[in-house]
Amino acid sequence: MKILVIEDDRRTGDYIADGLREEGHSVDLIADGAEGLVQASVGNYDILVVDRMLPGLDGISLVKTLRGARNRTPVLFLTSLGGVDDRIEGLNSGGDDYLVKPFAFGELSARIAALARRPQMQDEPTILRAADLEMNLLTRKVTRAGQPIDLLPREFALLEHLLRRKGRVQTRTMLMEAVWDIHFDPMTNVVDTHISRLRRKVDKPFGTDLIETVRGSGYRINAE
Amino acid sequence: MKLRQRISRSTPLRLTAIFLGIFILSSAASFGAAYLVIRANFESALEDEIEQTIDAYRDLHDQETLLRRLKDDVEATDSELTILHYRPDSGTVIANVDGFPPVRGFTIVGEKAIEEGDDDVSDSYLALGARVGRGQLIVARTREPVVVLGETILSVVLIGLLPTILLAASAGAFAARNARRRIDTIRKTLGALTEGRLSARAPVAATERDDLTEISAAVNNMASAQEALIGSMRQVSADIAHDLKTPIQRVAVILDEIARKTTLSEKQQDLLDQALAETDRIVQTFQALLQLAQIEGGAVRDRFGPTDLREIAEDVADFLGAEAEERGYRLDLTVTGDGPFIVKGDRHLLTQALANLIGNALRHTPPASTVNVDLWRSPAAITLRVADNGPGIPEAEREKVLRRLYRMEKSRTTEGSGLGLSLVAAICNLHDARLTLEDNDPGLKVLIRFGLDRDDVR
Repeated sequence: MKILVIEDDRRTGDYIADGLREEGHSVDLIADGAEGLVQASVGNYDILVVDRMLPGLDGISLVKTLRGARNRTPVLFLTSLGGVDDRIEGLNSGGDDYLVKPFAFGELSARIAALARRPQMQDEPTILRAADLEMNLLTRKVTRAGQPIDLLPREFALLEHLLRRKGRVQTRTMLMEAVWDIHFDPMTNVVDTHISRLRRKVDKPFGTDLIETVRGSGYRINAE
Repeated sequence: MKLRQRISRSTPLRLTAIFLGIFILSSAASFGAAYLVIRANFESALEDEIEQTIDAYRDLHDQETLLRRLKDDVEATDSELTILHYRPDSGTVIANVDGFPPVRGFTIVGEKAIEEGDDDVSDSYLALGARVGRGQLIVARTREPVVVLGETILSVVLIGLLPTILLAASAGAFAARNARRRIDTIRKTLGALTEGRLSARAPVAATERDDLTEISAAVNNMASAQEALIGSMRQVSADIAHDLKTPIQRVAVILDEIARKTTLSEKQQDLLDQALAETDRIVQTFQALLQLAQIEGGAVRDRFGPTDLREIAEDVADFLGAEAEERGYRLDLTVTGDGPFIVKGDRHLLTQALANLIGNALRHTPPASTVNVDLWRSPAAITLRVADNGPGIPEAEREKVLRRLYRMEKSRTTEGSGLGLSLVAAICNLHDARLTLEDNDPGLKVLIRFGLDRDDVR
């Protein structure tokens, strides 16, 4: 993918750019808001990573201007501000996701992957599959190797979220936001507990693990 | 009693009452003095007249002539104006009344003391007795004009004063009501400012400049100064957060690079994880401080919408319940009744408040404890309660734990930023909900009560 990173802090910018390049992306790094706006408009990027506080032109105005010009490139905001209002303001201005500093690289990478694939949510499937696991969204029944699995509503939602994003890493924060609508750091490994409970029902009895832990990032259900 | 309270509470009313009192007293004093002077003049004129009458009879040396003159005069004298009463040493009394009491010196004699017989007498007389010829003469002149004068003055006073009093009193009451209304708007403005709505201003009329306008203007100046101060404080804390978070971000970046680009022994990996956890905690504290400032700013209120407390309670209980159970705790959610449990608010903040309370309860109670979360609705309120059986918080500490960064001595060693409860308090305050900490005997009960009698809650 072609990614533009607009970040004024050199060290952070290099870190993001290097990390994304290692993952095989093509990355441009710009430290000034006004320059960033010009580059974003002409560069034909797949994703923009924009810091909220920038010299020249702040991130919010940059994205608003871009959206005003009908540029729909997905934007991930990076920010030092993590208040409720800041988040909402960021998303209202046209940002697609919001990441509070400091963040682990895995979090950034997972969110970029999620943004990149966002548009292709065309026809709604009624059955989600991974290996021998089947989830029927209409009857809300889950089977693995033909055997029914009893899931609590929230366990069902967690598994559904992972299945729909098969092959992509979902971080703990992303799962927390999507399944429980929780947008703050609870400072405990609560998500891990929910995953291990889900594994006890979905993986343990069947010998092979579908839900994979990605070190430093989160969880993923393997595509194959 | 009620009127007295109202007068003593309202400055304009009190001033009106005081001025009215002074006005009445001074009018009474000046009219009273005039009356006394006029009366004294009148009475000394009466005395002269009486003395002259007596002297005229004394001048008649012959007893025969005296008696004859007296008989004629008694016939001709109207007893209502003048009473003549002559008691000779021997013989019959010559008088225009049946009887008159003996007097010594000038004496005021009332109607009752006189035996009037068929004759008309007036209410009051000034009388003087004297030895004339061979007998005792009493001459009494009516004081009727003095009495009438007194009555006249009194009615003048009353007729003059009453309208004045009524006018002054109603003008005072009007001014008081007017002032009260304006004071009420000032008070409302101050109330709004106290609640954190720093944009509130008291109305200042451009045309009339009086003391209340000055106070309104002063309140507005204060509010503007406060607003500017808070604004710059927010800016400063946002700047600090930004300036400090960038280096923290770099530390996190470096630590991450170490983890990814070098091979570490288990011991090194462990130390690295600890360092990462510490940076997380620094960020967490910053985050909480920034959020507190934002919540206390009150701007989030603009985004309030109908929020289902039951959904929030179920989400949070499910989210935190799994881990609590793994660690041997019990987390029970009990929803009593069918609700609805809808309040006007911000879902994310209320979720965070409840999660903080449950997190606190789990952190401060020994394993195998039960944490009960209850949600119920009464006619007056929707109440959310988190109760534990832990060590509780001593009554004296309960106020203090709501302050930011305050931590009880014994909890210094446990996790947490010390901002959790102050964040909960700020969120409750923002939602006009009442937060109370109570004894659970043993343990702590935290109640959040959303009043239903308010307009902003449906």
